[in-house]
Amino acid sequence: MRFWQKYPAVGLASARSNLAYLGEVTSRVIFLGIILYIFLRLWKVTFTQAAAQQLGGFTLEQMLWYLAVTESIMLSAPRVAQLVDEDVRTGALSVQLIRPMSYPLYRLWTTLGERLVRFLVNSAVAAAVVCLLVGPIKWSLPGLLIFVLSLPLAFALDFLGNFLVGLGAFWLEDTTGLLLIYSRVTMIMGGMLIPLELLPDAIRTAFQTLPFASMVYGPAKLFVHPDVPTLLDILARQSVAVLVFALVIAAVYRLAMRRVFANGG
Amino acid sequence: MELAVELEGLRKTFTVTRGKGLSRTRTEVVAVDGVSFTVPSGQSVALIGPNGAGKSTTIKMLTGILNPTSGEARVLGLVPWKQRSRLAYHLGAVFGQRSQLWYHLPPGDTFDLLARIYELDRADYARRRDMLIERFGLGAFLNTQVRKLSLGQRMRAEIAASLLHKPSVLFLDEPTIGLDVVARQELRDLIRQWNREEGLTVFLTSHDAGDIESVARRVIVVNHGRVVLDDKVSTVRRRYLGSKVLSVKFHERPATVELAGVSVVKTSDYALKLEVDTRIAPIELVINKVLEAGAVADITIEDPPLEEIIAHIYAAGAAGSAAEEVRTA
Repeated sequence: MRFWQKYPAVGLASARSNLAYLGEVTSRVIFLGIILYIFLRLWKVTFTQAAAQQLGGFTLEQMLWYLAVTESIMLSAPRVAQLVDEDVRTGALSVQLIRPMSYPLYRLWTTLGERLVRFLVNSAVAAAVVCLLVGPIKWSLPGLLIFVLSLPLAFALDFLGNFLVGLGAFWLEDTTGLLLIYSRVTMIMGGMLIPLELLPDAIRTAFQTLPFASMVYGPAKLFVHPDVPTLLDILARQSVAVLVFALVIAAVYRLAMRRVFANGG
Repeated sequence: MELAVELEGLRKTFTVTRGKGLSRTRTEVVAVDGVSFTVPSGQSVALIGPNGAGKSTTIKMLTGILNPTSGEARVLGLVPWKQRSRLAYHLGAVFGQRSQLWYHLPPGDTFDLLARIYELDRADYARRRDMLIERFGLGAFLNTQVRKLSLGQRMRAEIAASLLHKPSVLFLDEPTIGLDVVARQELRDLIRQWNREEGLTVFLTSHDAGDIESVARRVIVVNHGRVVLDDKVSTVRRRYLGSKVLSVKFHERPATVELAGVSVVKTSDYALKLEVDTRIAPIELVINKVLEAGAVADITIEDPPLEEIIAHIYAAGAAGSAAEEVRTA
Protein backbone atom coordinates (compact mmCIF):
# COMPACT_ATOMS: atom_id res chain seq x y z
CA MET A 1 0.00 0.00 0.00
CA ARG A 2 2.81 2.37 0.99
CA PHE A 3 4.36 1.79 -2.44
CA TRP A 4 1.38 3.43 -4.15
CA GLN A 5 1.14 6.30 -1.65
CA LYS A 6 4.49 7.69 -2.75
CA TYR A 7 3.30 8.80 -6.18
CA PRO A 8 0.33 10.91 -5.09
CA ALA A 9 2.72 12.47 -2.52
CA VAL A 10 5.04 13.39 -5.42
CA GLY A 11 2.05 14.93 -7.24
CA LEU A 12 1.10 16.96 -4.19
CA ALA A 13 4.66 18.23 -3.71
CA SER A 14 4.74 19.19 -7.38
CA ALA A 15 1.44 21.09 -7.09
CA ARG A 16 2.66 22.96 -4.01
CA SER A 17 5.98 23.72 -5.65
CA ASN A 18 4.20 25.15 -8.67
CA LEU A 19 2.20 27.57 -6.57
CA ALA A 20 5.50 29.48 -6.39
CA TYR A 21 5.16 30.17 -10.11
CA LEU A 22 1.87 32.05 -9.81
CA GLY A 23 3.59 35.27 -10.87
CA GLU A 24 4.24 33.67 -14.24
CA VAL A 25 0.48 33.45 -14.70
CA THR A 26 0.24 37.20 -15.29
CA SER A 27 1.74 36.86 -18.75
CA ARG A 28 -0.53 33.94 -19.52
CA VAL A 29 -3.59 35.94 -18.41
CA ILE A 30 -2.78 38.65 -20.92
CA PHE A 31 -2.16 36.06 -23.65
CA LEU A 32 -5.41 34.24 -22.89
CA GLY A 33 -7.38 37.51 -22.89
CA ILE A 34 -5.98 38.55 -26.27
CA ILE A 35 -6.57 35.14 -27.86
CA LEU A 36 -10.13 34.90 -26.65
CA TYR A 37 -10.91 38.45 -27.78
CA ILE A 38 -9.50 37.75 -31.28
CA PHE A 39 -11.56 34.57 -31.56
CA LEU A 40 -14.66 36.38 -30.37
CA ARG A 41 -14.25 38.86 -33.25
CA LEU A 42 -13.52 36.08 -35.78
CA TRP A 43 -16.45 33.93 -34.74
CA LYS A 44 -18.77 36.94 -34.63
CA VAL A 45 -17.94 37.65 -38.28
CA THR A 46 -18.32 33.95 -39.17
CA PHE A 47 -21.72 33.67 -37.46
CA THR A 48 -22.88 36.90 -39.13
CA GLN A 49 -21.66 35.81 -42.58
CA ALA A 50 -23.27 32.41 -42.19
CA ALA A 51 -26.41 34.08 -40.86
CA ALA A 52 -26.65 31.21 -38.38
CA GLN A 53 -27.53 30.95 -34.71
CA GLN A 54 -25.47 27.78 -34.42
CA LEU A 55 -22.44 26.29 -36.20
CA GLY A 56 -21.78 22.58 -35.71
CA GLY A 57 -24.20 22.63 -32.80
CA PHE A 58 -22.41 25.55 -31.05
CA THR A 59 -23.84 29.02 -30.44
CA LEU A 60 -21.40 31.96 -30.39
CA GLU A 61 -21.35 31.87 -26.57
CA GLN A 62 -20.74 28.12 -26.51
CA MET A 63 -18.00 28.50 -29.11
CA LEU A 64 -16.18 30.98 -26.87
CA TRP A 65 -16.58 28.73 -23.83
CA TYR A 66 -15.31 25.79 -25.91
CA LEU A 67 -12.24 27.85 -26.77
CA ALA A 68 -11.77 28.88 -23.13
CA VAL A 69 -11.54 25.20 -22.17
CA THR A 70 -9.27 24.12 -25.06
CA GLU A 71 -6.90 27.05 -24.44
CA SER A 72 -6.84 26.33 -20.71
CA ILE A 73 -5.94 22.70 -21.42
CA MET A 74 -3.26 23.49 -23.97
CA LEU A 75 -1.66 26.33 -22.01
CA SER A 76 -1.51 24.23 -18.86
CA ALA A 77 0.75 21.59 -20.43
CA PRO A 78 3.99 21.23 -18.44
CA ARG A 79 7.34 20.94 -20.25
CA VAL A 80 7.48 17.16 -19.91
CA ALA A 81 9.43 16.39 -23.08
CA GLN A 82 12.02 19.09 -22.35
CA LEU A 83 12.41 17.88 -18.76
CA VAL A 84 12.96 14.27 -19.83
CA ASP A 85 15.35 15.49 -22.52
CA GLU A 86 17.29 17.52 -19.90
CA ASP A 87 17.35 14.61 -17.44
CA VAL A 88 18.84 12.37 -20.11
CA ARG A 89 21.34 14.87 -21.46
CA THR A 90 22.63 16.30 -18.17
CA GLY A 91 22.74 12.97 -16.37
CA ALA A 92 20.21 14.26 -13.79
CA LEU A 93 18.33 11.04 -14.56
CA SER A 94 20.79 9.23 -12.28
CA VAL A 95 19.47 11.14 -9.23
CA GLN A 96 16.00 9.78 -9.99
CA LEU A 97 17.11 6.25 -10.83
CA ILE A 98 18.87 5.83 -7.50
CA ARG A 99 15.55 6.11 -5.65
CA PRO A 100 13.06 3.32 -5.02
CA MET A 101 10.52 4.47 -7.56
CA SER A 102 9.74 4.32 -11.22
CA TYR A 103 11.07 7.27 -13.23
CA PRO A 104 8.10 7.34 -15.67
CA LEU A 105 5.62 7.25 -12.76
CA TYR A 106 7.60 9.96 -10.94
CA ARG A 107 7.41 12.18 -14.02
CA LEU A 108 3.71 11.36 -14.52
CA TRP A 109 2.83 12.52 -11.01
CA THR A 110 5.02 15.62 -11.03
CA THR A 111 3.33 16.51 -14.32
CA LEU A 112 -0.18 15.91 -12.97
CA GLY A 113 0.55 18.06 -9.90
CA GLU A 114 1.92 20.88 -12.00
CA ARG A 115 -0.87 20.62 -14.51
CA LEU A 116 -3.56 20.74 -11.87
CA VAL A 117 -2.31 24.10 -10.58
CA ARG A 118 -1.80 25.54 -14.05
CA PHE A 119 -5.16 24.32 -15.33
CA LEU A 120 -7.08 25.71 -12.34
CA VAL A 121 -5.47 29.12 -12.74
CA ASN A 122 -5.89 29.16 -16.53
CA SER A 123 -9.50 28.08 -16.45
CA ALA A 124 -10.36 30.64 -13.74
CA VAL A 125 -8.83 33.40 -15.85
CA ALA A 126 -10.39 32.12 -19.10
CA ALA A 127 -13.81 31.86 -17.43
CA ALA A 128 -13.55 35.43 -16.16
CA VAL A 129 -12.52 36.73 -19.60
CA VAL A 130 -15.28 34.85 -21.46
CA CYS A 131 -17.85 35.95 -18.88
CA LEU A 132 -16.86 39.52 -19.60
CA LEU A 133 -17.00 39.01 -23.38
CA VAL A 134 -20.16 36.91 -23.86
CA GLY A 135 -21.57 36.23 -20.41
CA PRO A 136 -21.84 33.03 -18.37
CA ILE A 137 -22.71 29.64 -19.83
CA LYS A 138 -25.64 27.59 -18.60
CA TRP A 139 -24.15 25.02 -16.27
CA SER A 140 -25.15 22.38 -13.75
CA LEU A 141 -23.31 20.43 -11.09
CA PRO A 142 -23.71 17.03 -12.86
CA GLY A 143 -22.55 18.70 -16.10
CA LEU A 144 -19.46 20.05 -14.38
CA LEU A 145 -18.78 16.64 -12.87
CA ILE A 146 -18.99 15.01 -16.31
CA PHE A 147 -16.45 17.52 -17.61
CA VAL A 148 -14.11 17.02 -14.63
CA LEU A 149 -14.24 13.22 -15.05
CA SER A 150 -12.95 13.55 -18.59
CA LEU A 151 -9.80 15.43 -17.49
CA PRO A 152 -7.51 12.99 -15.61
CA LEU A 153 -7.09 10.55 -18.50
CA ALA A 154 -6.81 13.45 -20.96
CA PHE A 155 -3.88 14.84 -18.96
CA ALA A 156 -2.34 11.39 -18.51
CA LEU A 157 -2.59 10.77 -22.25
CA ASP A 158 -0.93 14.07 -23.07
CA PHE A 159 1.82 13.23 -20.56
CA LEU A 160 2.45 9.90 -22.27
CA GLY A 161 2.75 11.55 -25.68
CA ASN A 162 5.20 14.13 -24.34
CA PHE A 163 7.18 11.56 -22.36
CA LEU A 164 7.58 9.48 -25.50
CA VAL A 165 8.94 12.51 -27.33
CA GLY A 166 11.34 13.19 -24.41
CA LEU A 167 12.64 9.62 -24.55
CA GLY A 168 13.76 10.44 -28.10
CA ALA A 169 16.75 12.16 -26.40
CA PHE A 170 18.30 8.72 -25.97
CA TRP A 171 18.66 8.45 -29.74
CA LEU A 172 18.46 11.99 -31.14
CA GLU A 173 20.76 14.98 -30.78
CA ASP A 174 17.77 17.28 -30.33
CA THR A 175 14.11 16.50 -29.68
CA THR A 176 12.83 20.04 -30.33
CA GLY A 177 11.68 19.13 -33.85
CA LEU A 178 9.72 16.12 -32.63
CA LEU A 179 8.14 18.20 -29.88
CA LEU A 180 7.12 20.89 -32.34
CA ILE A 181 5.41 18.31 -34.54
CA TYR A 182 3.69 16.72 -31.53
CA SER A 183 2.36 20.02 -30.18
CA ARG A 184 1.11 21.23 -33.58
CA VAL A 185 -0.59 17.91 -34.27
CA THR A 186 -2.26 18.09 -30.84
CA MET A 187 -3.48 21.61 -31.58
CA ILE A 188 -4.86 20.84 -35.03
CA MET A 189 -6.11 17.27 -34.69
CA GLY A 190 -7.10 17.85 -31.08
CA GLY A 191 -9.57 20.55 -32.08
CA MET A 192 -8.00 23.39 -30.14
CA LEU A 193 -9.13 26.16 -32.48
CA ILE A 194 -12.14 24.65 -34.23
CA PRO A 195 -14.56 22.04 -32.88
CA LEU A 196 -14.26 18.85 -34.94
CA GLU A 197 -17.97 19.14 -35.92
CA LEU A 198 -17.04 21.96 -38.31
CA LEU A 199 -14.61 19.80 -40.29
CA PRO A 200 -15.58 17.69 -43.34
CA ASP A 201 -17.00 14.28 -42.34
CA ALA A 202 -14.00 12.18 -43.46
CA ILE A 203 -11.49 14.38 -41.65
CA ARG A 204 -13.68 14.63 -38.56
CA THR A 205 -13.99 10.84 -38.34
CA ALA A 206 -10.22 10.43 -38.76
CA PHE A 207 -9.42 13.07 -36.13
CA GLN A 208 -11.94 11.65 -33.67
CA THR A 209 -10.33 8.24 -33.97
CA LEU A 210 -6.91 9.61 -33.13
CA PRO A 211 -5.94 10.08 -29.46
CA PHE A 212 -5.41 13.85 -29.72
CA ALA A 213 -9.16 14.56 -29.79
CA SER A 214 -9.51 12.77 -26.42
CA MET A 215 -7.04 15.22 -24.88
CA VAL A 216 -8.53 18.54 -26.00
CA TYR A 217 -11.74 18.34 -28.01
CA GLY A 218 -13.40 15.67 -25.83
CA PRO A 219 -13.28 17.51 -22.48
CA ALA A 220 -14.12 20.88 -24.09
CA LYS A 221 -17.14 19.39 -25.89
CA LEU A 222 -18.32 17.85 -22.62
CA PHE A 223 -18.04 21.21 -20.88
CA VAL A 224 -20.36 22.82 -23.42
CA HIS A 225 -22.63 19.81 -24.06
CA PRO A 226 -22.32 17.52 -21.06
CA ASP A 227 -23.90 14.10 -21.47
CA VAL A 228 -23.14 10.68 -20.06
CA PRO A 229 -22.98 8.65 -23.33
CA THR A 230 -20.41 11.09 -24.79
CA LEU A 231 -18.44 10.92 -21.53
CA LEU A 232 -18.41 7.11 -21.66
CA ASP A 233 -17.34 7.19 -25.31
CA ILE A 234 -14.49 9.62 -24.53
CA LEU A 235 -13.39 7.65 -21.45
CA ALA A 236 -13.30 4.47 -23.54
CA ARG A 237 -11.19 6.17 -26.24
CA GLN A 238 -8.89 7.69 -23.61
CA SER A 239 -8.45 4.33 -21.85
CA VAL A 240 -7.52 2.52 -25.06
CA ALA A 241 -5.10 5.29 -26.05
CA VAL A 242 -3.52 5.35 -22.57
CA LEU A 243 -3.06 1.59 -22.71
CA VAL A 244 -1.48 1.68 -26.18
CA PHE A 245 0.81 4.64 -25.29
CA ALA A 246 1.80 3.00 -21.99
CA LEU A 247 2.76 -0.22 -23.75
CA VAL A 248 4.78 1.65 -26.36
CA ILE A 249 6.51 3.68 -23.63
CA ALA A 250 7.28 0.55 -21.61
CA ALA A 251 8.99 -0.96 -24.65
CA VAL A 252 10.85 2.24 -25.61
CA TYR A 253 11.84 2.93 -21.99
CA ARG A 254 13.27 -0.56 -21.68
CA LEU A 255 15.40 0.04 -24.76
CA ALA A 256 16.35 3.51 -23.54
CA MET A 257 17.60 2.23 -20.18
CA ARG A 258 20.17 0.16 -22.03
CA ARG A 259 21.47 3.36 -23.55
CA VAL A 260 22.01 5.31 -20.33
CA PHE A 261 25.49 6.74 -20.56
CA ALA A 262 27.68 7.86 -17.71
CA ASN A 263 27.95 11.49 -18.62
CA GLY A 264 30.16 13.32 -16.16
CA GLY A 265 29.98 13.62 -12.39
CA MET B 1 34.32 -9.31 8.01
CA GLU B 2 31.04 -8.40 6.36
CA LEU B 3 31.46 -6.84 2.94
CA ALA B 4 29.32 -3.91 1.83
CA VAL B 5 30.68 -3.75 -1.69
CA GLU B 6 32.37 -6.41 -3.84
CA LEU B 7 33.59 -5.91 -7.39
CA GLU B 8 35.24 -8.52 -9.55
CA GLY B 9 36.62 -7.72 -12.99
CA LEU B 10 34.00 -5.05 -13.59
CA ARG B 11 34.24 -3.68 -17.10
CA LYS B 12 32.19 -1.16 -19.04
CA THR B 13 32.63 -0.13 -22.65
CA PHE B 14 30.69 2.44 -24.63
CA THR B 15 30.31 2.75 -28.35
CA VAL B 16 31.04 6.28 -29.48
CA THR B 17 29.87 7.43 -32.90
CA ARG B 18 32.01 10.01 -34.69
CA GLY B 19 31.45 11.87 -37.95
CA LYS B 20 28.25 12.27 -39.96
CA GLY B 21 26.43 10.41 -42.71
CA LEU B 22 28.41 7.81 -44.61
CA SER B 23 31.69 8.80 -42.96
CA ARG B 24 30.27 7.93 -39.56
CA THR B 25 32.52 5.60 -37.57
CA ARG B 26 31.85 3.72 -34.36
CA THR B 27 34.60 3.29 -31.79
CA GLU B 28 34.55 1.29 -28.62
CA VAL B 29 35.71 3.26 -25.59
CA VAL B 30 36.70 1.46 -22.40
CA ALA B 31 35.41 3.45 -19.42
CA VAL B 32 36.08 0.85 -16.72
CA ASP B 33 38.64 -1.85 -17.38
CA GLY B 34 38.36 -4.85 -15.07
CA VAL B 35 38.08 -3.12 -11.71
CA SER B 36 38.19 -5.37 -8.62
CA PHE B 37 38.06 -4.45 -4.94
CA THR B 38 36.01 -5.03 -1.82
CA VAL B 39 34.81 -2.62 0.84
CA PRO B 40 33.97 -3.88 4.34
CA SER B 41 30.82 -2.56 6.02
CA GLY B 42 31.37 0.72 7.80
CA GLN B 43 34.49 1.71 5.90
CA SER B 44 34.88 5.12 4.35
CA VAL B 45 36.51 4.99 0.94
CA ALA B 46 37.54 7.73 -1.43
CA LEU B 47 37.36 6.79 -5.08
CA ILE B 48 39.46 9.34 -6.87
CA GLY B 49 40.92 9.91 -10.28
CA PRO B 50 41.20 12.55 -12.99
CA ASN B 51 38.16 13.47 -15.12
CA GLY B 52 37.20 10.58 -17.39
CA ALA B 53 39.07 8.04 -15.25
CA GLY B 54 35.98 5.85 -14.78
CA LYS B 55 34.93 6.82 -11.22
CA SER B 56 31.46 7.95 -12.11
CA THR B 57 30.86 4.94 -14.37
CA THR B 58 31.94 2.63 -11.54
CA ILE B 59 29.59 4.37 -9.08
CA LYS B 60 26.73 4.20 -11.58
CA MET B 61 27.23 0.47 -11.96
CA LEU B 62 27.34 0.08 -8.18
CA THR B 63 24.04 1.94 -7.84
CA GLY B 64 22.44 -0.12 -10.60
CA ILE B 65 22.03 2.73 -13.06
CA LEU B 66 24.37 1.16 -15.60
CA ASN B 67 24.78 -2.45 -16.67
CA PRO B 68 28.40 -3.57 -16.92
CA THR B 69 29.74 -5.07 -20.13
CA SER B 70 31.28 -7.87 -18.08
CA GLY B 71 32.32 -8.67 -14.53
CA GLU B 72 30.44 -8.97 -11.28
CA ALA B 73 29.47 -6.73 -8.41
CA ARG B 74 27.47 -7.02 -5.22
CA VAL B 75 26.37 -4.20 -2.99
CA LEU B 76 24.95 -5.33 0.36
CA GLY B 77 24.69 -8.78 -1.18
CA LEU B 78 22.55 -7.59 -4.10
CA VAL B 79 23.46 -7.35 -7.77
CA PRO B 80 22.85 -3.64 -8.38
CA TRP B 81 21.74 -3.70 -12.04
CA LYS B 82 19.42 -6.65 -11.46
CA GLN B 83 18.01 -5.63 -8.07
CA ARG B 84 18.16 -1.85 -8.32
CA SER B 85 14.75 -1.16 -6.76
CA ARG B 86 15.45 -3.36 -3.74
CA LEU B 87 18.92 -1.93 -3.31
CA ALA B 88 17.69 1.67 -3.57
CA TYR B 89 16.02 1.42 -0.13
CA HIS B 90 19.47 0.91 1.43
CA LEU B 91 21.48 3.44 -0.55
CA GLY B 92 21.87 7.14 0.02
CA ALA B 93 23.42 9.55 -2.43
CA VAL B 94 24.49 13.16 -2.45
CA PHE B 95 25.52 14.70 -5.73
CA GLY B 96 27.16 18.05 -5.01
CA GLN B 97 26.03 19.49 -8.30
CA ARG B 98 22.53 17.99 -8.39
CA SER B 99 19.96 18.67 -5.74
CA GLN B 100 17.39 16.24 -4.46
CA LEU B 101 15.62 19.01 -2.55
CA TRP B 102 12.62 20.68 -4.17
CA TYR B 103 13.78 24.17 -5.05
CA HIS B 104 10.55 26.02 -4.26
CA LEU B 105 9.67 24.05 -1.13
CA PRO B 106 11.27 24.12 2.34
CA PRO B 107 13.64 21.21 3.16
CA GLY B 108 11.06 19.92 5.66
CA ASP B 109 8.60 19.27 2.80
CA THR B 110 11.20 17.31 0.84
CA PHE B 111 11.91 15.27 3.98
CA ASP B 112 8.20 14.41 4.24
CA LEU B 113 8.15 13.40 0.59
CA LEU B 114 11.28 11.27 0.94
CA ALA B 115 9.65 9.50 3.89
CA ARG B 116 6.84 8.49 1.49
CA ILE B 117 9.24 7.54 -1.29
CA TYR B 118 11.27 5.30 1.04
CA GLU B 119 8.05 4.00 2.64
CA LEU B 120 9.18 4.87 6.16
CA ASP B 121 7.03 4.21 9.19
CA ARG B 122 5.58 7.58 10.28
CA ALA B 123 6.73 7.36 13.90
CA ASP B 124 10.23 6.14 12.97
CA TYR B 125 10.49 8.87 10.38
CA ALA B 126 9.48 11.60 12.85
CA ARG B 127 12.12 10.45 15.34
CA ARG B 128 14.82 10.19 12.70
CA ARG B 129 13.93 13.58 11.17
CA ASP B 130 14.04 15.33 14.56
CA MET B 131 17.41 13.80 15.31
CA LEU B 132 18.86 14.84 11.95
CA ILE B 133 17.44 18.35 12.30
CA GLU B 134 19.18 18.71 15.63
CA ARG B 135 22.49 17.17 14.59
CA PHE B 136 22.74 19.01 11.29
CA GLY B 137 21.49 22.28 12.80
CA LEU B 138 18.61 22.57 10.34
CA GLY B 139 16.00 23.96 12.74
CA ALA B 140 16.56 27.61 11.82
CA PHE B 141 15.84 27.11 8.12
CA LEU B 142 13.76 23.95 7.99
CA ASN B 143 10.71 25.90 6.85
CA THR B 144 12.52 28.26 4.50
CA GLN B 145 12.28 27.60 0.78
CA VAL B 146 15.43 25.94 -0.56
CA ARG B 147 15.94 28.71 -3.10
CA LYS B 148 16.50 31.14 -0.22
CA LEU B 149 19.16 29.03 1.54
CA SER B 150 22.92 29.51 1.37
CA LEU B 151 24.88 26.75 -0.35
CA GLY B 152 26.24 25.56 3.00
CA GLN B 153 22.73 25.30 4.48
CA ARG B 154 21.48 23.55 1.39
CA MET B 155 24.25 20.96 1.44
CA ARG B 156 23.62 20.22 5.11
CA ALA B 157 19.97 19.67 4.27
CA GLU B 158 20.96 17.53 1.26
CA ILE B 159 23.06 15.20 3.38
CA ALA B 160 20.41 15.01 6.11
CA ALA B 161 17.86 14.15 3.39
CA SER B 162 20.07 11.34 2.13
CA LEU B 163 20.32 9.87 5.65
CA LEU B 164 16.58 9.96 6.46
CA HIS B 165 15.97 6.36 5.43
CA LYS B 166 19.02 5.10 7.37
CA PRO B 167 20.99 3.91 4.35
CA SER B 168 23.76 1.35 4.79
CA VAL B 169 25.89 2.79 1.98
CA LEU B 170 26.21 6.49 1.23
CA PHE B 171 27.59 7.72 -2.08
CA LEU B 172 28.98 11.23 -1.95
CA ASP B 173 29.91 12.86 -5.23
CA GLU B 174 31.79 16.14 -4.74
CA PRO B 175 29.76 16.96 -1.62
CA THR B 176 31.70 20.10 -0.71
CA ILE B 177 31.97 21.67 -4.16
CA GLY B 178 31.49 25.43 -4.02
CA LEU B 179 31.40 25.63 -0.21
CA ASP B 180 33.48 28.05 1.83
CA VAL B 181 36.21 26.76 4.18
CA VAL B 182 34.05 26.75 7.32
CA ALA B 183 31.02 25.11 5.70
CA ARG B 184 33.30 22.57 4.04
CA GLN B 185 34.88 21.55 7.34
CA GLU B 186 31.48 21.39 9.09
CA LEU B 187 30.16 19.07 6.45
CA ARG B 188 33.23 16.81 6.54
CA ASP B 189 32.94 16.53 10.32
CA LEU B 190 29.28 15.58 10.06
CA ILE B 191 29.97 12.88 7.49
CA ARG B 192 32.82 11.48 9.53
CA GLN B 193 30.71 11.41 12.70
CA TRP B 194 27.93 9.62 10.90
CA ASN B 195 30.30 7.08 9.42
CA ARG B 196 31.59 6.27 12.93
CA GLU B 197 28.32 6.35 14.82
CA GLU B 198 26.06 4.47 12.43
CA GLY B 199 28.65 2.22 10.81
CA LEU B 200 27.67 3.75 7.51
CA THR B 201 29.78 2.71 4.53
CA VAL B 202 30.82 5.91 2.77
CA PHE B 203 31.88 6.05 -0.85
CA LEU B 204 33.34 9.44 -1.65
CA THR B 205 34.39 10.84 -4.99
CA SER B 206 36.04 14.21 -4.84
CA HIS B 207 38.81 16.26 -6.36
CA ASP B 208 39.33 17.96 -3.02
CA ALA B 209 42.21 16.45 -1.06
CA GLY B 210 40.77 17.91 2.15
CA ASP B 211 37.56 15.88 1.67
CA ILE B 212 39.59 12.73 1.19
CA GLU B 213 41.78 13.30 4.24
CA SER B 214 38.92 14.30 6.51
CA VAL B 215 36.35 11.74 5.47
CA ALA B 216 38.09 8.66 4.08
CA ARG B 217 40.40 6.12 5.67
CA ARG B 218 41.09 4.34 2.44
CA VAL B 219 41.77 5.70 -1.01
CA ILE B 220 41.29 3.94 -4.33
CA VAL B 221 42.84 5.76 -7.26
CA VAL B 222 41.37 5.02 -10.68
CA ASN B 223 42.99 6.07 -13.91
CA HIS B 224 42.19 5.02 -17.48
CA GLY B 225 39.48 2.72 -16.09
CA ARG B 226 41.86 0.77 -13.86
CA VAL B 227 42.70 0.79 -10.18
CA VAL B 228 46.22 2.21 -9.96
CA LEU B 229 46.38 2.40 -6.20
CA ASP B 230 44.37 1.05 -3.29
CA ASP B 231 45.63 1.75 0.22
CA LYS B 232 45.06 3.57 3.49
CA VAL B 233 45.14 7.35 3.18
CA SER B 234 47.89 7.51 5.84
CA THR B 235 50.01 4.86 4.08
CA VAL B 236 49.64 6.62 0.75
CA ARG B 237 50.93 9.75 2.39
CA ARG B 238 53.97 7.99 3.78
CA ARG B 239 54.76 5.81 0.79
CA TYR B 240 54.18 8.25 -1.99
CA LEU B 241 55.69 11.18 -0.35
CA GLY B 242 58.93 10.04 1.07
CA SER B 243 59.26 13.69 1.88
CA LYS B 244 58.56 16.13 4.68
CA VAL B 245 58.37 19.87 4.86
CA LEU B 246 60.38 21.51 7.64
CA SER B 247 59.60 25.09 8.62
CA VAL B 248 62.19 26.54 11.00
CA LYS B 249 62.40 29.94 12.74
CA PHE B 250 65.75 31.03 14.18
CA HIS B 251 66.76 33.54 16.84
CA GLU B 252 69.69 34.56 14.66
CA ARG B 253 70.63 34.46 11.00
CA PRO B 254 71.22 30.73 10.31
CA ALA B 255 74.15 29.14 8.50
CA THR B 256 73.45 27.41 5.18
CA VAL B 257 71.96 23.93 5.43
CA GLU B 258 73.48 21.76 2.74
CA LEU B 259 72.67 18.09 2.65
CA ALA B 260 71.89 15.58 -0.09
CA GLY B 261 68.10 15.11 -0.36
CA VAL B 262 67.31 18.51 1.18
CA SER B 263 66.16 21.43 -0.92
CA VAL B 264 65.35 24.93 0.25
CA VAL B 265 61.79 25.91 -0.63
CA LYS B 266 61.80 29.37 0.92
CA THR B 267 64.25 31.44 2.89
CA SER B 268 64.29 34.76 4.75
CA ASP B 269 66.61 36.36 7.34
CA TYR B 270 65.46 34.26 10.29
CA ALA B 271 63.42 31.49 8.68
CA LEU B 272 63.90 28.51 6.44
CA LYS B 273 61.49 26.18 4.69
CA LEU B 274 63.06 22.91 3.58
CA GLU B 275 61.73 19.95 1.63
CA VAL B 276 63.36 16.73 2.75
CA ASP B 277 63.49 13.51 0.77
CA THR B 278 63.50 11.15 3.74
CA ARG B 279 64.69 8.25 1.60
CA ILE B 280 67.97 10.09 1.04
CA ALA B 281 68.24 12.22 4.17
CA PRO B 282 66.81 10.74 7.38
CA ILE B 283 64.76 13.33 9.27
CA GLU B 284 66.93 13.08 12.46
CA LEU B 285 70.01 13.96 10.41
CA VAL B 286 68.29 16.99 8.92
CA ILE B 287 67.09 18.20 12.33
CA ASN B 288 70.61 17.90 13.72
CA LYS B 289 71.93 19.87 10.77
CA VAL B 290 69.28 22.55 11.33
CA LEU B 291 70.14 22.80 15.05
CA GLU B 292 73.78 23.24 14.10
CA ALA B 293 72.85 26.01 11.67
CA GLY B 294 71.65 28.37 14.43
CA ALA B 295 69.61 28.80 17.62
CA VAL B 296 66.16 27.50 16.78
CA ALA B 297 63.11 29.44 17.99
CA ASP B 298 60.43 27.21 16.47
CA ILE B 299 60.28 24.15 14.24
CA THR B 300 57.36 22.37 12.51
CA ILE B 301 57.47 19.20 10.45
CA GLU B 302 54.61 18.64 8.00
CA ASP B 303 53.62 16.24 5.29
CA PRO B 304 53.20 17.89 1.91
CA PRO B 305 49.57 18.46 0.90
CA LEU B 306 47.65 15.44 -0.40
CA GLU B 307 47.12 17.27 -3.69
CA GLU B 308 50.78 16.73 -4.44
CA ILE B 309 50.56 13.02 -3.74
CA ILE B 310 47.49 12.68 -5.94
CA ALA B 311 49.15 14.63 -8.73
CA HIS B 312 52.19 12.38 -8.36
CA ILE B 313 50.07 9.21 -8.57
CA TYR B 314 48.17 10.48 -11.62
CA ALA B 315 51.43 11.43 -13.30
CA ALA B 316 52.91 8.02 -12.53
CA GLY B 317 49.76 6.36 -13.90
CA ALA B 318 49.88 8.42 -17.09
CA ALA B 319 53.58 7.63 -17.57
CA GLY B 320 52.86 3.92 -17.04
CA SER B 321 50.07 3.96 -19.63
CA ALA B 322 52.24 5.81 -22.13
CA ALA B 323 55.04 3.26 -21.66
CA GLU B 324 52.53 0.44 -22.13
CA GLU B 325 51.21 2.03 -25.34
CA VAL B 326 54.78 2.31 -26.68
CA ARG B 327 55.42 -1.34 -25.84
CA THR B 328 52.13 -2.38 -27.54
CA ALA B 329 53.03 -0.35 -30.64
